[in-house]
Amino acid sequence: MSDQWTDRLSEYLDDELPPDERSALEQHLRHCAACGAVLADLKRIVTRARGLEDRPPERDLWPGIAARIGAGSGETRAIDLAAARGRRRWSFSLPQLIAAGIALMAASGGAAWLLHPAAQSSVAVRDTIPTTPVVAGGNLSARNAGDRSRIAGQSYAAAVADLERVLTQGRGRLDTTTVRVIERNLATIDSAIAQARRALAADSANVYLNSHLAETMQRKLDLLRQAAALVSSVS
Amino acid sequence: MTLPGTGATTLEHQATGRTDPDAVDATLAATGDAHAFERLYRGHLARISSLVRRMLGDEDPDDVIQDVFVRAWQKLGTFRGESAFGTWLHRLAVNVILGRRETLGIRRQRHLDGDAALETVPSRRTTPEISMDFETAMERLPDGARQVFVLHDVEGYRHEEIAEMLGLATGTSKSQLHRARMALRRHLER
Repeated sequence: MSDQWTDRLSEYLDDELPPDERSALEQHLRHCAACGAVLADLKRIVTRARGLEDRPPERDLWPGIAARIGAGSGETRAIDLAAARGRRRWSFSLPQLIAAGIALMAASGGAAWLLHPAAQSSVAVRDTIPTTPVVAGGNLSARNAGDRSRIAGQSYAAAVADLERVLTQGRGRLDTTTVRVIERNLATIDSAIAQARRALAADSANVYLNSHLAETMQRKLDLLRQAAALVSSVS
Repeated sequence: MTLPGTGATTLEHQATGRTDPDAVDATLAATGDAHAFERLYRGHLARISSLVRRMLGDEDPDDVIQDVFVRAWQKLGTFRGESAFGTWLHRLAVNVILGRRETLGIRRQRHLDGDAALETVPSRRTTPEISMDFETAMERLPDGARQVFVLHDVEGYRHEEIAEMLGLATGTSKSQLHRARMALRRHLER
């Protein structure tokens, strides 16, 4: 089936025909079932195209991008940690070291420190974790490290809870788009943390995974701190 | 660390009272904050990935996706918050994709006639994943028709914008779009 109007149906559908041609085509459609059927199909195709869902690539491309832009990538961090791990003489695990670093960050300033980004640069926040092997590499016994790990976990959870409370209380002052973006990003980060923890359950000594988990937890703190700052800025 | 351009991006929310996390992160990233840039990457990855995959057809998209974000990092200094960061990034991605195609010399069949386009579209699969089946059919469209279809029907660009991006006459963009739709219609009929 094809007639002089068939090739104009997309323009008609997109409302791009001049008024006189549009009127003539509508006259034609009243008695041409074939063109009506094609038009209905084209509408279905457009609707389906507009409804396609986006999906990310199957593998995380960030490590490659980070390497190319010269950022402190997970790969670089993993090498450093591997070297530190090779030199260490203590017997506690990297998760404990990382947790101890987070504890130092959280305990040294706590949520109040995190809530005032003007008082502390983001660089300072980020630099906390890389110092972890050095800080934790002192005279800590394995038992102390275990205690610190537990305390670190508690401190991290408390800091996150404080920031989440600020965000919850202040979300009404943010526009809905902002809230949606923050919540989506938090969900993404939480998912990444859960994935890293699941992977570590099977390979607890994996340097990259430990580093990745620490960085992801740090990202959550950074994002929450930024969100809290946004709440503060519109108060 | 290789810093992108700095200083040109403005913190829109500071000037207007609006809060735009992407604008904040773009500003931070423009000063060399890779964590902020990673947040932008993760927030926009799915959309950019889908755009690249749909525009490139069956080619491996990962390298191009990386190219898009590396280029964005390098060009952050030119983002001034006049449009949403996602809009800016999307347009940059289209340019990277089109440049990639030219570099590889694979602008084949750009102006393939309609009959040939119809022949290249696969028949319907029996999979229940209808949308994936539709994506597969899109991938098999000739380059020119697929690019116009993706940019217009999936991404919402106007023919005038598409014509400028692809170096076509507006009328050619319209005819390519119709051919793509008709090819997909035949696919859906099978």
